[in-house]
Amino acid sequence: MWSANSKNIKRQNYQLTLEPEFILRFDNKIKLTTLGRFRSISLDALSPENVTDNAYSPYSKPLFIGNSSELELREFYVEIPSDNYYFTLGKQQVVWGKADGLKVLDIVNPQSYREFILEDFDDSRIPQWMANIETRLGEWDAQLLWIPEQSYHVLPGNDALYTPTSPLLAPKPPPGVSVDVQPIDRPGRTLTDSDIGLRLSRFWQDWDLSLNYLYQYDNFVLPYQRRSLTTNGPHVDIEPQYQRTHMLGGSFSNAFDSWVVRGELAYFSDRYFLAKGTRDSDGITKGEEASYVIGLDWAGLENTLISGQLFQSVVINRQSATLRDKTDSTLSLLANHTLFNETLELRLIWLTNTNIGDGLVRLRVTYEWRDNLKTWVSSDTFYGSEEGLFGQFDANDRLTFGIEMGFE
Amino acid sequence: MLKTPLLLLSLLSICSANSVAQNPVRNSESVLPTGEQVAAHINSRDEGEAVSRKLSIVMRDKRGKTRHRETMSYRQYYANEKRTVIFYLSPKNIKDTAFLTYDYNDPQLEDNQWLYLPALRKVRRISASDRGDYFLGTDMTYEDIKLETRVSTADFNFQTIDTCEVDGYPGLQIEGTPKSQTIAKELGYSKTLSCVDKAVWMVRQSQFWDIKGNLLKTVIVSNIEQIQGIWSQQNIDVENHKTGHSTRLIFSDIDYQRPVPDDIFTTNAIKRGL
Repeated sequence: MWSANSKNIKRQNYQLTLEPEFILRFDNKIKLTTLGRFRSISLDALSPENVTDNAYSPYSKPLFIGNSSELELREFYVEIPSDNYYFTLGKQQVVWGKADGLKVLDIVNPQSYREFILEDFDDSRIPQWMANIETRLGEWDAQLLWIPEQSYHVLPGNDALYTPTSPLLAPKPPPGVSVDVQPIDRPGRTLTDSDIGLRLSRFWQDWDLSLNYLYQYDNFVLPYQRRSLTTNGPHVDIEPQYQRTHMLGGSFSNAFDSWVVRGELAYFSDRYFLAKGTRDSDGITKGEEASYVIGLDWAGLENTLISGQLFQSVVINRQSATLRDKTDSTLSLLANHTLFNETLELRLIWLTNTNIGDGLVRLRVTYEWRDNLKTWVSSDTFYGSEEGLFGQFDANDRLTFGIEMGFE
Repeated sequence: MLKTPLLLLSLLSICSANSVAQNPVRNSESVLPTGEQVAAHINSRDEGEAVSRKLSIVMRDKRGKTRHRETMSYRQYYANEKRTVIFYLSPKNIKDTAFLTYDYNDPQLEDNQWLYLPALRKVRRISASDRGDYFLGTDMTYEDIKLETRVSTADFNFQTIDTCEVDGYPGLQIEGTPKSQTIAKELGYSKTLSCVDKAVWMVRQSQFWDIKGNLLKTVIVSNIEQIQGIWSQQNIDVENHKTGHSTRLIFSDIDYQRPVPDDIFTTNAIKRGL
C-alpha cells in the first residue's frame, strides 16, 4: 500500500503486509487456526514503534523489528465442537453488534488507532487471549467470554501522523506548567482483572436480537493529574490508569421490503471523562453513559446499498466540570455500488459529528483483476475544526493506492 | 417428505383453478398439461429432504477472463420452510463468506436472508427485495439461487406454449410472466421461456427477458442423473446476453442421505464457517 498527502502528494508511507494463515483440521472436527502478520512500513510517521505499545499485554505485544517493522501473532485459537457446547479457546477477535464503522457493542477487543479509524477494523482490532464458550439455552444462543488478558487501545505516540491533538482527547497544560508522565498503572491480576462477557441472541418473529453484557476495563487510558507547586512553579504529574465499567446493551435487525433496520444500544455504569481546565482536582470526572446507533439500509437499486446511521452518546449524571457535551451525535452515510459482476466496487463513506461540524469523506474504487488479485484507489478527506475528532486531522488528507494478492 | 402433503394440496387447488382460468394447449398428438400443472409437477419433484454438495462456480467475462469459486452448500426442508446455506471455501479474497436463507412456504411471508462478510466479521441482514440482484458476481440472482430447480408460482403465471426438445430430451415449453409490474422489477425479468423435461420434470433450458423486453440470459441445465434415487442436475450454464458474462455451476459430491444438522442453518454457523 502506498499513501500520500492529497494536498501536496507528499509521501506518507509505503506499507507491505504479509498475513500467513494456517488451518489444521482434526478428525473429530477440532480446528486450529493460526494467523500471523508481518508489516513493514517505510516512513516515519506511522512507524510501529511509535505507538503507546505499553497498552499491549506482554502476551499480545508484537515483536518490533528495527524501527519500521513488526511481527505479530494475530490469531491462534482452537475450536472444539461438542454436542451442547462450542469452545473457541485462544487469541481471537470477537465482534458484537450490527453497526458499520461506528462502535457501540463492538468493544470486546481493543483497537489500534495508529491510523485513527482509517484502517479496516479487522486489521486494527487487537485480538486477545480468551475463552469463548457458546451453547444453546432454550430458544437462545448463549456466548460466554472470559478474557484474562489485558490489552487496551493503542494510540500513536507523540508527533506521529495520527497523534490525537483535539482537546477532547489530549488535554494541554497551561503555559508555565511542567508535566511528567508516569508509567501506566496497568491492572495486573490475572483472575480478578479479567473481562467477562455474556451475549444471548435469538431469531424471533423475523427479528435478530441480542442482549449483551460486558464487565471490562475501559480501553481508553485515563490521564489522572496530580498537581503540585514546586520551586520551579506549578507541576503536574500524569498518572495514567484504566477504570472498570459494566456495559449492558443489545442489538436488533430486521428486513422490510427494500429496507433493513438495525441498531445497537448500550448503557455504561461507570464512565470517566476529561475535565475542563483545572475545574476538577484530578482532571477526570465520573458519570454514566448511554450510547446507541440506529441504521437504515436501502437496497432498492440493483447492486446498490445505501445506508445511513445515527450514533448518539449521552452522559448521564454529567458533572459541570466535564469537558465533552452531554450529548454527542455522529451521522454516517454509506453508498456502495458494484459493476461488472462485482469486479468493480465503488464506495462512499461520509461521517460527520454534528456537535462540532467536522467530518471525514472516504471514497474507494476497488477492482478485482482475477482470483486473489485486486487493487484499490482511495481518498480520505478530513474537514472541520481542529478541535473535533475528525477535524484534528484536517492536514492529513490522504490518497492511497493498494494491491492485495492471495496465495493458496 | 414433509413437504409432500402441502404440495399435493397445492397441486389439487392449482388443477381446480386451472380448469377455469386456462384452456389446455392441444398439439397434433395430445392435449398438453397447462403451465400451472407443469409448474406444480416441477415443484413437487422429489428433491430429497436434505442435501449436501460441493458447488464449483466458474465465471467468465466477455474477454475470456475467468474467476473460480469453491463452495459447500446444504439444504433442508422443514414443515414450513426450506433452509439453504452456502459456505465459500476459496479463493482467499472471498473465503469464509457465507449465505443463509429461510424460504417460507407461505408466499405472503418474506424470506429471511443473511450474508456473513468476513472482512467485517459480521452477519448482515439482506432485504428480500434484493432477490433480483446478482449473487456474489455470478449471473444467477439471489432468487435463482434460492429456487434451485423449482419455479415460483407465487411470482409467475405459467402457460404451456408447445412441446420442445433439448439435447434429444423431449419436453414442454412453458412461458412465465410476472404477476405484477412490481414483481417484474424486483426480479428483473419480464418473461421466461423454459423447456421442461417431462420425463423427470426438470427445466433443461430457460431464457429470461429483462423488464424492457430484451433477451437477458439463457440457462442450460445438463448432466442430469439419478443420485441416490433422486434426479439431480450437475451442471448449470448461464449466459448473460447483455454483458457477455457467463457462469458455470458444477455440483459434485451430492449426498441426499447424510444428515444435515439443524444448527448449520443459523447465523452463528455462518459466522464460524466450515
